[in-house]
Amino acid sequence: MAELLGQLAYLAMGVSVVGELTPRSKDAIAAFGEKLSAPLFRKALELEGVRARAWTGQEAGLVTNERWGEAEPLLELSLYQVAETLKAPLEAGEVPVVTGFIAATQHGVTTTIGRGGSDYTATLVGAALKAEEIWIWSDVDGLMSADPRIVPAARLLERISFGEAIEMGLFGAKSMHPRALEPAAERKIPVRMKNTFNPTGPGTLISEEGGAEEELARSVLLVKDTALLTITGAAMMGRPGTAARIFQLMADEGINIRMIILSVSEAGICLAVTGSQAARARATLERHLLRTGEAHSVEVEDQVAILAVIGSNMRGHPGVAARVFAAVARAGINVIAIAQGSSELSISFIVKGDSGPEAVRVLHDEFRGAHRT
Amino acid sequence: MKILLVGFGVVGRAVVALLEEQRAALYRGHGLSPSIVGVIDSKGAAEDPRGLDPAALLEAKAKHGTVAAVAAHGVTGEKDTELIAESEAQLVIEATPTTVKAPGPSLERLKAAFRTGKHVVCVNKAPLAVAFPALQELSRHNRAEFRYSGTVGGGTPILALAQECVRGNEVVSVRAILNGTTNFILWRMDKQGEDFDAALKEAVRLGYAEADPSADIDGIDTATKVVILANGVLGRPCTIGDVRIQGIRGLPKARIDDARKRGQAVKLIARIAREGLTVAPEEVPSDSPLNVPANLNCLGLELKTGGEVALVGRGAGGPETATAILRDLIDIWHTIGSAR
Repeated sequence: MAELLGQLAYLAMGVSVVGELTPRSKDAIAAFGEKLSAPLFRKALELEGVRARAWTGQEAGLVTNERWGEAEPLLELSLYQVAETLKAPLEAGEVPVVTGFIAATQHGVTTTIGRGGSDYTATLVGAALKAEEIWIWSDVDGLMSADPRIVPAARLLERISFGEAIEMGLFGAKSMHPRALEPAAERKIPVRMKNTFNPTGPGTLISEEGGAEEELARSVLLVKDTALLTITGAAMMGRPGTAARIFQLMADEGINIRMIILSVSEAGICLAVTGSQAARARATLERHLLRTGEAHSVEVEDQVAILAVIGSNMRGHPGVAARVFAAVARAGINVIAIAQGSSELSISFIVKGDSGPEAVRVLHDEFRGAHRT
Repeated sequence: MKILLVGFGVVGRAVVALLEEQRAALYRGHGLSPSIVGVIDSKGAAEDPRGLDPAALLEAKAKHGTVAAVAAHGVTGEKDTELIAESEAQLVIEATPTTVKAPGPSLERLKAAFRTGKHVVCVNKAPLAVAFPALQELSRHNRAEFRYSGTVGGGTPILALAQECVRGNEVVSVRAILNGTTNFILWRMDKQGEDFDAALKEAVRLGYAEADPSADIDGIDTATKVVILANGVLGRPCTIGDVRIQGIRGLPKARIDDARKRGQAVKLIARIAREGLTVAPEEVPSDSPLNVPANLNCLGLELKTGGEVALVGRGAGGPETATAILRDLIDIWHTIGSAR
């Protein structure tokens, strides 16, 4: 412990002397929280009479690429190495305590897996060990049918499928790593989400089978603080590569596109981006497309919200979209744009920001108790 | 192209000899001039960024048992993985003997090669048997080429044929004989009427079987090849733990005689089918393409369109495996040379 703190002090001094904090140094420093807590947890287990041993992600065999701050694991290599490292101690009756969130490159440089990275580590280690179930303890009861701050009647989803959970994660239901469920889903290992502050609660069980009930929609989610950019221009019509060019511009600027709407007529392309990135997205598009005459205008509609209705039973069930939009229309809410993936796991659309919460409530009511017929 | 050769046994020495023999043809046919800048054997290494002299390597190995004895270029006491990581070579040939029970050292060498961006030609089956998906991921991540055609069928291009067959078609199932030693034993038992022990003794005498023939007769060697075929050709991620293995150790002669009376022959069959991966003694009709004599190998593919395809050839041997290595080397040379 003292040795680790010494290293941390040394590292912090180095950064302060150079006056520069590179993403690589930041990862090295950010890793100390986990490096310090794993031995503490091991000690706590030992005091309870459980034989345990602490490992850092790197020691356990987790390898990532070199994207510091948001490193991606080399999945197959990590799975193999973790299984190899932890096999012997497990067989000897030791409980391995592995740091979440941190790993290392193939050259041994510390990396962090980014937001929700500990969940990802858990599913990876679980998959490597061919666990029967993976438990994730956090500070929420589990996945909900809606945000309880918006819909007081929101319910806890006790059973949900991997597809639904991944879709919910992507819509920001919980700060879960978007890929966190992948290792478990691929190997069909159920994941149970539990609340540390409510250990007796049922939590949410995410599995291949999902919910037993035939509920049509499982959850209604709202992504606030979104902006909609509409790019129009006659020169774009029917010209191959326009969309690719726009996406490339956004990628180069590091702007994450949340939703894309492109009508068949190709008169315009709509992009939904996070509100804080809208100004930058607009400036880039104007600089590259307006100046050259490739587009006529870039309009920004600030203060919009994305709504998503999620449920795997909607797949192949006619009339769901009609119900969604009829309900919203009855409430006098205007729908600005619509997108539905071919997986039919979710329907998402954009409304004015201030009518977002009302739309969530309306849809939650509409689909409460609605079953597949 | 600068090459680092790991393993200087029968196969490694055959590679050096073959590269010399083919030097003019390789340059004429492919514009390729290979240069061995390093050799690592079990006792040490030799290094020269300008290329080692093949004659000096062979002489040092013959006289002193290690290439570390090469004058002015010998190296001892360095870790394999460090020699590989620090080498100037663009390509590493892993030609150490397969030890399925201890794949670790070989796997570490391949990892060292990949993480320093070196292409790899591997004929050691052990790392592929236990960690094929991981190695494939590592080579892609580092944009390094990875070839292993010598691991299955030796000089007979079994993987290449299978690879061609899956293009635009579908392999419904694979039935193959992938181990020459066991095929020789079963063939002797059938044709000469010997019992298992006598046939095994003959295989050892002819140099087909190792002093410890366990890996062959217990089906382990065949299983490693099943894993390589399944992963590398059929795109089916698996490791040796996923193969159900039954060998031929102590197979009663009565079983073979009994089969013969019914016009059948017992073979150690590697099978890849929808239901799973297996290695086990099975009967095949005596007129089946799989009923190959002596120490031959045979790949039988059942294709969705076009029915059955079979390829017969010799499966092992130093010169044959060296040919496979050269084949892979040329393949990598053309792959990295074309615009990427």
